[in-house]
Amino acid sequence: MKILAFAAARERTGFSELEIPAEPSETPRALLARVAPSLTLDSLRAAIDYEYWDWDTPIGLATELAIIPAVSGG
Amino acid sequence: MDTHIEFATGPIVIPAPPTTRETGARAEFHGIVRENEHGRPIAGLQYEAYIPMADRQIRRILDQLSATHPCQSVWFIHRLGWVPVGEASLYIRVHASHRQPAFGLSMDLIDLLKKDVPIWKSSSPAC
Repeated sequence: MKILAFAAARERTGFSELEIPAEPSETPRALLARVAPSLTLDSLRAAIDYEYWDWDTPIGLATELAIIPAVSGG
Repeated sequence: MDTHIEFATGPIVIPAPPTTRETGARAEFHGIVRENEHGRPIAGLQYEAYIPMADRQIRRILDQLSATHPCQSVWFIHRLGWVPVGEASLYIRVHASHRQPAFGLSMDLIDLLKKDVPIWKSSSPAC
Protein backbone atom coordinates (compact mmCIF):
# COMPACT_ATOMS: atom_id res chain seq x y z
CA MET A 1 0.00 0.00 0.00
CA LYS A 2 1.36 3.39 -1.01
CA ILE A 3 0.67 6.12 1.56
CA LEU A 4 0.77 9.78 0.48
CA ALA A 5 0.71 12.82 2.74
CA PHE A 6 0.03 16.29 1.35
CA ALA A 7 0.57 19.86 2.57
CA ALA A 8 -0.01 20.13 6.34
CA ALA A 9 -0.33 16.34 6.59
CA ARG A 10 3.18 16.00 5.16
CA GLU A 11 4.51 18.34 7.83
CA ARG A 12 2.66 16.51 10.58
CA THR A 13 3.72 13.00 9.51
CA GLY A 14 7.23 13.84 8.37
CA PHE A 15 6.86 11.97 5.08
CA SER A 16 5.33 12.62 1.68
CA GLU A 17 5.23 9.05 0.42
CA LEU A 18 5.99 5.60 1.70
CA GLU A 19 5.10 2.01 0.96
CA ILE A 20 4.02 -0.63 3.47
CA PRO A 21 2.47 -4.08 3.29
CA ALA A 22 -1.25 -4.05 4.13
CA GLU A 23 -4.09 -6.53 4.48
CA PRO A 24 -7.53 -5.92 2.88
CA SER A 25 -9.13 -6.00 6.32
CA GLU A 26 -7.04 -3.12 7.63
CA THR A 27 -8.47 0.39 7.86
CA PRO A 28 -6.83 3.72 7.07
CA ARG A 29 -6.82 4.45 10.78
CA ALA A 30 -4.93 1.22 11.51
CA LEU A 31 -2.39 1.87 8.76
CA LEU A 32 -1.71 5.38 10.03
CA ALA A 33 -1.31 4.04 13.55
CA ARG A 34 1.49 1.88 12.24
CA VAL A 35 3.41 4.51 10.28
CA ALA A 36 2.63 7.66 12.30
CA PRO A 37 1.48 6.54 15.75
CA SER A 38 1.52 10.02 17.26
CA LEU A 39 -0.59 11.55 14.48
CA THR A 40 -4.03 12.79 15.47
CA LEU A 41 -6.59 12.58 12.68
CA ASP A 42 -8.57 15.71 13.51
CA SER A 43 -9.00 17.93 10.44
CA LEU A 44 -7.57 15.18 8.24
CA ARG A 45 -9.51 13.09 5.73
CA ALA A 46 -8.54 9.78 4.18
CA ALA A 47 -8.73 8.99 0.48
CA ILE A 48 -8.45 5.50 -0.95
CA ASP A 49 -7.62 5.16 -4.64
CA TYR A 50 -8.64 8.82 -5.21
CA GLU A 51 -11.95 8.67 -3.31
CA TYR A 52 -12.71 10.07 0.14
CA TRP A 53 -12.90 7.17 2.57
CA ASP A 54 -13.95 6.62 6.15
CA TRP A 55 -11.02 6.16 8.53
CA ASP A 56 -12.63 2.97 9.88
CA THR A 57 -13.67 1.25 6.63
CA PRO A 58 -11.40 -1.61 5.50
CA ILE A 59 -9.23 -0.78 2.50
CA GLY A 60 -9.99 -3.95 0.55
CA LEU A 61 -7.81 -4.33 -2.52
CA ALA A 62 -6.95 -0.63 -2.78
CA THR A 63 -3.38 0.34 -3.55
CA GLU A 64 -3.13 4.00 -2.47
CA LEU A 65 -4.04 5.82 0.73
CA ALA A 66 -3.78 9.60 0.82
CA ILE A 67 -3.92 11.78 3.90
CA ILE A 68 -5.88 14.89 2.98
CA PRO A 69 -5.68 18.01 5.17
CA ALA A 70 -8.14 20.89 4.78
CA VAL A 71 -8.09 21.94 1.14
CA SER A 72 -7.46 25.52 0.00
CA GLY A 73 -7.53 25.67 -3.77
CA GLY A 74 -8.68 28.62 -5.80
CA MET B 1 -21.21 19.06 -21.28
CA ASP B 2 -17.71 19.41 -22.71
CA THR B 3 -15.19 19.55 -19.90
CA HIS B 4 -11.57 20.65 -20.02
CA ILE B 5 -9.53 20.31 -16.82
CA GLU B 6 -5.91 21.37 -16.68
CA PHE B 7 -3.24 21.86 -14.03
CA ALA B 8 -0.70 24.36 -15.30
CA THR B 9 2.81 24.80 -13.95
CA GLY B 10 3.27 28.21 -15.58
CA PRO B 11 1.12 31.25 -16.26
CA ILE B 12 -2.39 30.35 -17.34
CA VAL B 13 -2.87 30.57 -21.09
CA ILE B 14 -6.51 31.24 -21.88
CA PRO B 15 -7.68 29.00 -24.69
CA ALA B 16 -9.63 30.36 -27.62
CA PRO B 17 -13.37 30.08 -27.05
CA PRO B 18 -15.29 27.60 -29.17
CA THR B 19 -17.19 28.95 -32.12
CA THR B 20 -20.85 28.11 -31.74
CA ARG B 21 -24.10 29.95 -32.29
CA GLU B 22 -25.77 28.04 -29.47
CA THR B 23 -23.95 29.95 -26.73
CA GLY B 24 -25.84 32.87 -25.25
CA ALA B 25 -23.66 33.37 -22.18
CA ARG B 26 -19.96 33.07 -21.49
CA ALA B 27 -18.96 33.49 -17.82
CA GLU B 28 -15.26 33.80 -16.98
CA PHE B 29 -13.64 33.81 -13.57
CA HIS B 30 -10.03 34.66 -12.80
CA GLY B 31 -8.82 33.90 -9.28
CA ILE B 32 -5.94 36.31 -8.62
CA VAL B 33 -3.31 36.07 -5.88
CA ARG B 34 -3.74 39.08 -3.59
CA GLU B 35 -0.89 40.93 -1.89
CA ASN B 36 -2.18 40.05 1.58
CA GLU B 37 -2.94 36.66 3.11
CA HIS B 38 -4.52 36.60 6.57
CA GLY B 39 -3.62 40.27 6.95
CA ARG B 40 0.08 39.85 6.18
CA PRO B 41 1.87 40.94 3.01
CA ILE B 42 3.00 38.07 0.80
CA ALA B 43 5.10 37.69 -2.33
CA GLY B 44 2.93 34.92 -3.73
CA LEU B 45 1.38 31.55 -3.08
CA GLN B 46 2.72 28.06 -3.55
CA TYR B 47 0.11 25.56 -4.80
CA GLU B 48 0.17 21.78 -4.77
CA ALA B 49 -2.45 19.20 -5.71
CA TYR B 50 -3.16 15.51 -5.57
CA ILE B 51 -3.75 15.66 -9.29
CA PRO B 52 -5.48 12.35 -10.08
CA MET B 53 -7.92 12.79 -7.22
CA ALA B 54 -8.44 16.50 -7.92
CA ASP B 55 -9.25 15.73 -11.55
CA ARG B 56 -11.72 13.03 -10.50
CA GLN B 57 -13.37 15.27 -7.89
CA ILE B 58 -13.80 18.15 -10.31
CA ARG B 59 -15.37 15.87 -12.92
CA ARG B 60 -17.76 14.50 -10.30
CA ILE B 61 -18.68 18.00 -9.14
CA LEU B 62 -19.35 19.06 -12.73
CA ASP B 63 -21.48 15.98 -13.34
CA GLN B 64 -23.57 16.85 -10.28
CA LEU B 65 -23.84 20.54 -11.11
CA SER B 66 -24.83 19.92 -14.72
CA ALA B 67 -28.16 18.57 -13.48
CA THR B 68 -29.11 21.90 -11.93
CA HIS B 69 -27.03 24.20 -14.16
CA PRO B 70 -27.19 22.82 -17.71
CA CYS B 71 -24.21 24.26 -19.56
CA GLN B 72 -22.48 23.55 -22.83
CA SER B 73 -18.84 23.55 -21.80
CA VAL B 74 -16.49 24.25 -18.91
CA TRP B 75 -12.81 25.13 -18.90
CA PHE B 76 -11.10 24.72 -15.56
CA ILE B 77 -7.42 25.61 -15.26
CA HIS B 78 -5.65 25.67 -11.89
CA ARG B 79 -2.07 26.72 -11.59
CA LEU B 80 0.37 24.72 -9.45
CA GLY B 81 3.74 25.67 -8.03
CA TRP B 82 4.68 29.27 -7.34
CA VAL B 83 2.17 31.98 -8.31
CA PRO B 84 3.31 35.57 -7.67
CA VAL B 85 1.00 38.28 -6.40
CA GLY B 86 -1.11 39.71 -9.20
CA GLU B 87 -1.18 36.58 -11.34
CA ALA B 88 -4.09 34.18 -11.76
CA SER B 89 -4.09 30.89 -9.90
CA LEU B 90 -7.48 29.81 -11.24
CA TYR B 91 -9.39 30.29 -14.47
CA ILE B 92 -12.89 29.04 -15.11
CA ARG B 93 -14.90 29.62 -18.27
CA VAL B 94 -18.44 28.40 -18.71
CA HIS B 95 -20.55 28.50 -21.84
CA ALA B 96 -24.31 28.13 -21.65
CA SER B 97 -27.37 29.13 -23.55
CA HIS B 98 -28.38 31.57 -20.79
CA ARG B 99 -26.67 33.55 -18.03
CA GLN B 100 -28.32 31.82 -15.05
CA PRO B 101 -26.72 28.39 -15.51
CA ALA B 102 -23.39 29.94 -16.51
CA PHE B 103 -23.19 32.06 -13.34
CA GLY B 104 -24.73 29.32 -11.18
CA LEU B 105 -22.32 26.63 -12.25
CA SER B 106 -19.33 28.96 -11.88
CA MET B 107 -20.28 29.96 -8.35
CA ASP B 108 -21.11 26.44 -7.17
CA LEU B 109 -18.00 24.97 -8.76
CA ILE B 110 -15.77 27.41 -6.87
CA ASP B 111 -17.60 26.76 -3.59
CA LEU B 112 -17.18 23.00 -3.94
CA LEU B 113 -13.59 23.38 -5.13
CA LYS B 114 -12.78 25.07 -1.84
CA LYS B 115 -14.52 22.31 0.12
CA ASP B 116 -13.56 19.01 -1.49
CA VAL B 117 -10.91 19.23 -4.19
CA PRO B 118 -7.43 18.27 -2.94
CA ILE B 119 -5.50 21.41 -3.84
CA TRP B 120 -3.53 23.38 -1.25
CA LYS B 121 -1.83 26.72 -1.06
CA SER B 122 0.85 28.05 1.25
CA SER B 123 2.08 31.62 1.40
CA SER B 124 5.54 33.13 1.35
CA PRO B 125 6.07 36.48 3.09
CA ALA B 126 6.97 39.51 1.03
CA CYS B 127 10.64 40.53 1.27
